Amino acid sequence: MLKIDSLSKTYANGVHALNGVTLDIPRGMFGLLGPNGAGKSSLMRTLATLQEADSGSATLSIPGESPIDVLRDKDAVRRRLGYLPQDFGVYPKVSALDLLEHFAVLKGLTQRGQRREVVDGLLQQVNLWDARKRKLGTYSGGMRQRFGIAQALLGDPRLVIVDEPTAGLDPEERNRFLNLLAAIGENVAVILSTHIVEDVTDLCPTMAIMNKGQVLLTGRPTDAIEALQQQVWRKQVDPSELADHEARYTVLSSRLVGGRPVIHVHSASDPGDGFAPVAPDLEDVYFQRLRLQARARAA
Amino acid sequence: MTLDFFRFELREQLRSPLLWLFAALFALLAFGAASSDAVQIGGGSGNVHSNAPTVVASMLGIFTLLGMLVSTLFVSNALLRDFELGTAELIFASPIKRRHYLAGRIGAALVSGLLVYVLIAVGILVAQFMPWVDAERLGPINWAGYAWTFAVVVIPNLLFTTALLSLLAVTTRSILWVYIGVVGYFVLYGVSAALLRDIDNTWIAVLTEPLGMRALSRTIRYWSTEERNSGIPELAGYLLANRVLWLTVAAALFAATFALFRTERSGSGRRRWGRGQAAASADPAPLRPATTALPRVTPVFSTGTAWRQFLRQVRFDTRGVLRSVPFIVLLVLGLANFLPSALFRQTLYGTSIWPVTSQMIMALQGAFSWLLIIIVLFFAGELVWKERGARINEVNDAMPVPNWVPLLAKFVALLAVIACFQAAGALAAMAVQLVKGYTHLEPLLYLRSLALDSVVYVLMGGLALVLQVLTNNKFFGYALLIVVMIGQGVLGMLDYTQNIYNFGSWPIAPYSDMNGYGHFLTGQLAFQGYWALFLLALMCLASAFWVRGVSQGLRQRLALAGRRLRGPTGAMAALAAVAFIAVGGWLYWSTNIRNDFLSPDQQLDLQARYERELSKYRNLPQPRIIAVDNRVDLHPETQSMVIDANWTIRNTHAAPIQEVHVATADDKQLVAVDLGGQTLSMHDADLGYRIYRLATPLQPGEERRIHFRVVQQPHGITADQAPSNIVDNGSFFNSRVLPSFGYNEGVEISDRNERRKRDLGEPRRMPKLEDEAARANNYVTNDADWLDFRSTICTAPDQVALAPGYLQHETTVNGRRCFSYAMDRPMLNFYAYLSARWEVRRARYKDIPIEVYFDPAHGYNVDRMIDAVQKSLAYYEANFTPYQHRQVRIIEFPGYQRFAQSFANTIPYSESIGFIADLRDPDKVDYVFYVTAHEVAHQWWAHQVIGANVQGATVLSESLSQYSALMVMEQEYGRQHMRQFLKRELDGYLSGRGGEAIEELPLERVENQQYIHYQKGSLVFYRLREEIGEEALNRALKRFLQDKGYQQPPYTTSRELLSYLRAETPADRQQLVTDLFEKMTFYDNRVLAASARKRADGRYDVTLDLHASKQYADGRGKETAGTMDDWVEIGVFANGPSGKEHDQKVLYLQRHHITTGEPKITVTVDARPDEAGFDPYNKLIDRVSEDNRRKVTM
Repeated sequence: MLKIDSLSKTYANGVHALNGVTLDIPRGMFGLLGPNGAGKSSLMRTLATLQEADSGSATLSIPGESPIDVLRDKDAVRRRLGYLPQDFGVYPKVSALDLLEHFAVLKGLTQRGQRREVVDGLLQQVNLWDARKRKLGTYSGGMRQRFGIAQALLGDPRLVIVDEPTAGLDPEERNRFLNLLAAIGENVAVILSTHIVEDVTDLCPTMAIMNKGQVLLTGRPTDAIEALQQQVWRKQVDPSELADHEARYTVLSSRLVGGRPVIHVHSASDPGDGFAPVAPDLEDVYFQRLRLQARARAA
Repeated sequence: MTLDFFRFELREQLRSPLLWLFAALFALLAFGAASSDAVQIGGGSGNVHSNAPTVVASMLGIFTLLGMLVSTLFVSNALLRDFELGTAELIFASPIKRRHYLAGRIGAALVSGLLVYVLIAVGILVAQFMPWVDAERLGPINWAGYAWTFAVVVIPNLLFTTALLSLLAVTTRSILWVYIGVVGYFVLYGVSAALLRDIDNTWIAVLTEPLGMRALSRTIRYWSTEERNSGIPELAGYLLANRVLWLTVAAALFAATFALFRTERSGSGRRRWGRGQAAASADPAPLRPATTALPRVTPVFSTGTAWRQFLRQVRFDTRGVLRSVPFIVLLVLGLANFLPSALFRQTLYGTSIWPVTSQMIMALQGAFSWLLIIIVLFFAGELVWKERGARINEVNDAMPVPNWVPLLAKFVALLAVIACFQAAGALAAMAVQLVKGYTHLEPLLYLRSLALDSVVYVLMGGLALVLQVLTNNKFFGYALLIVVMIGQGVLGMLDYTQNIYNFGSWPIAPYSDMNGYGHFLTGQLAFQGYWALFLLALMCLASAFWVRGVSQGLRQRLALAGRRLRGPTGAMAALAAVAFIAVGGWLYWSTNIRNDFLSPDQQLDLQARYERELSKYRNLPQPRIIAVDNRVDLHPETQSMVIDANWTIRNTHAAPIQEVHVATADDKQLVAVDLGGQTLSMHDADLGYRIYRLATPLQPGEERRIHFRVVQQPHGITADQAPSNIVDNGSFFNSRVLPSFGYNEGVEISDRNERRKRDLGEPRRMPKLEDEAARANNYVTNDADWLDFRSTICTAPDQVALAPGYLQHETTVNGRRCFSYAMDRPMLNFYAYLSARWEVRRARYKDIPIEVYFDPAHGYNVDRMIDAVQKSLAYYEANFTPYQHRQVRIIEFPGYQRFAQSFANTIPYSESIGFIADLRDPDKVDYVFYVTAHEVAHQWWAHQVIGANVQGATVLSESLSQYSALMVMEQEYGRQHMRQFLKRELDGYLSGRGGEAIEELPLERVENQQYIHYQKGSLVFYRLREEIGEEALNRALKRFLQDKGYQQPPYTTSRELLSYLRAETPADRQQLVTDLFEKMTFYDNRVLAASARKRADGRYDVTLDLHASKQYADGRGKETAGTMDDWVEIGVFANGPSGKEHDQKVLYLQRHHITTGEPKITVTVDARPDEAGFDPYNKLIDRVSEDNRRKVTM
């Protein structure tokens, strides 16, 4: 539905925010995974018409409509776009209902009756109906994010871009939010950018991993996990051994269990040395791709 | 600990570039004010040295007010920085004491503030060493003055302002609120200034002003030039009370600051847009997946969509502003400032006026609307940064809204905010009108006037938006705006005063109830349109630069703007720019080529050339006009006229006149000249001076008929306000539109500094009293003595035209209404023409008809005027000589000027001084009665007796008219009311002399100095009347009138008047006449103690310890002791029912002969005394009038 081809962007300070990004984003949820500073937000902003790209192209194809050149025909994109930026704020003294009404008009819902219907429906859908008359300043982080998704869904968008929506939410809020995302219709392409692996695991049939402006992997999470079968090994080590292991193996991750580090390493064959095989998950895929990139760069 | 905080904070403050920036800016401003006249802050006037200690003190005092804006920065920085940066929790979690922290921080803020004032003082100090500073205007450096100023003014004020700001900062923890507090303080400061207008409230006004500026100015109000130059005010009285009070308040504020300072996090919530960290309450939503289907409504985009989006954005932004705290605060402050100024609006003598709409609009302009400048500038920044401030910009920017919508919406939101603010003002004004019982509401006039007034705010707000967008940095945008505003001032200083290059300036159309905006509006609208086009072009440009999405550096912005400009925006920008240039070109052509434009400096240079080249003709004998027959063809509809002046002239000199020098104010207007055969031998059109050589010289005694034709016609828009003498309704012009003969000294520059700059030497003064030659002319004109006058004036068919004399006949010629007037006896060469649509009210005094011509809406005081005319005629005919004319006419003219003026049997009277006075309060001065009596008195004093053109001439016209009017007033209102009036006269005289530009002179030598011939004149003649009696004084005046009335040259003088007065003055009061007229005499009379003792017979002996002294001052106020040999009233009073002065019972009031400095006087009274007084009614000129009375102790 959205085809991105060789998109590049270099900032004035020399940072390559996007480096030949090529992606094919189908309908449904698409997870964009990457650490902080991977270029996710640059990509999102570029797709949301808020930033210019240096080169490359992006085309939005909606069935039954002529394809839209995302980089040139910004107005057309904006009419089909729902965007929830990373870390967005609100006017604290305005009620949710008023602000959503306001955004609805800006989205082009200029007919009062229609607008009412849409706004009320959305407020119910995001479970803010009871709190609709409260000032946004009194909303919790999760409520605010749900308000954010409500505004992004105004005007029947075909492309919904959600940038790091779950950062800073508590588990309950996060679940609630993800449920909401999952309920968005099937005709819509939803790009969910995140650095939280579970978000993607839980929700996205397709995904991409990005770092340093480059796409490291794109495809279905299950395929990626499948490809790592029998290559991830686990071992609990003494903290004093950690540095030694890091030097000797491709350590994917290290986390404390009962105060002692448990490490995952990537190895095509059994490394022995007390390592036990472990079923890979998306997190292992993610770290493996990052390590791979780091090694390629070092080389 | 405190010291550590102090040191740390001071280092931070001193590192702040803002401190140095503001210090440098203020020091520069102070330097500019002290070294040139272009910047005016406090400053000295006239003869007061520009480095005199009083000048330094008031200048630094004003800076302590301005400095509050900077102190706010220091204080809020020092106290709020930790909360702003979020370091508060780090600091307060450590074991420190709050008071150490506060004391250290506040101490550092104080020291940095003091540093700024020291730099300002340095700026003032070094100014005097600048080579361009006129050494004549400097005195020696007075170090004690600086020390005094810092000790008494600067440091206490710094303490107070810092205390106030600290408390605000500590309690609100918001810089915004601190600033709002400061604005509020400024407005309250202005409001309390209104109190001072009524001099009875001096103590209140002085004490309520925290910076002591009023206390200072009250203390030195009556100081002479000499005292102002060297004296340092004593720390006593007003000043001491004020300083003690406000230092106490400062201490209390500091105490409250320490008590209320909280380090806890609660309440540190900085509730500003976008940072809403307010407590999040529990989420009521249950944990369940949403199942309802999304309503699927796909928006349809049409041309209407964009407009609806635009309107929505306007509504949203406008509502945001209207509901914001700063707007509400400013609105409330504006109303708080406006209401008292509208309720207590007064023009003269503390008497209120009817709240007619035009006056309410003036009050709105002065006290309310100007706040809009703060509002538009502030909210322009807020609106441009609204989305980004709330971090919601990315949502907004990704909305399907055309690029032109946001900026235009924000501009229109500003318009809506301006409209709402002005509408609130108009509603408040109408409420005031209703409260005051005025029911003629004119909402449409409000609409029109406030709309016209709002244009400047719209333009400034638009410019602020543009600058915010272009700079893309809020504070840089504000800074640039300030630079633009300073630039406007600098242009003016550099003599670039034309509206064409001053953004947002235009010739302001004055409003008059009689004439509306009249023809003045054209010029204003043209210039407003011109600047609107400029703004339009800028707005288009800004719209191209509007940041949407993430801004990525200048280069990309430029590239993007270039792309956006390649559309309709660019076309509109180009169109607006072309239209701006075209309108500008057309305005330049109209103002500078079709019409003449002279900048202020060019005008002065021209005057200098006039003096240099032509003053050699000063005493050249010229013919005198002996008869005038003017035919005036007036067209008020087109503001034009043609005057055919047919005059008879006579050579009154001993030698033949070969050359006639003809001077005009505007040479182009003089289109035809016939002097009975003449050739033009010199013509300087710029100076308006021509010399004609007569074909046949005018022989001594020969008379000749001559003719001038003068044409006045507007030529489109002028650079300055269009001429106001011929207007659609209410034309008023006098004989000055016609040529005069010979060199006119009135053209010379009188300002000493401007003269010095042009090497012109000392300004010309009035000829000395002893100058016998100067007595050949009267002081009104040197073109004529007494002349025969007749005129025909034709005007619009619906108007009446008036001129001195009596109506001979009225005809209609070519559809014009023509009136012929003739005077039946010789009169001065001083006449005026008026034409308007009036209502007329008629009355009589004996057989003399009285007519008042007034605007139908201004009938309030017409009967009062008629009454005043009748009573004046009665008094003057009974006590002086008969009225020389057969009619009195009072004629209202538009308020473009504020005076009443007496021509022969014709008194034009400005609509703004008497016609709308509200005389319903009987306790207020009825100045309508008084002014009318004064103007009627001029029919004697000026139109019967006219002084020679020497010193003291205005005693014979103005001072005697003052005296005459006082007598009529006293008959009408009683002696009690006179005291109220004379107190104002005393105040006017004493404060007027401090601003004297040349030198103060005794009354008999007054050189047209208003505070002498009006204010002192009243006091002098009233006292003389008190001491020699009304009958004796009037006898002298009557004889003087009989002897000198209609006198041919040499004209009479004040010296001659004095001899008539002395003839009626008993021998023991001759010294009094000398003191009053020939010297400048000041008394210092006081009751030191007053005690009473009950006598056996039930009466009381009251003993008064008095202090009496008399001083003689010279022209600069230097005083020498005189000998007390005066008759001064001693009074003893009993308490009345109200305890106020006006119903006190007089137990004793006698004049005593005082010859010693410390007299002790005992008098016996019948009832229990309450108060005793030495000159209790302040009939003597005494600078401290309060100490003339004292409570009696038993």
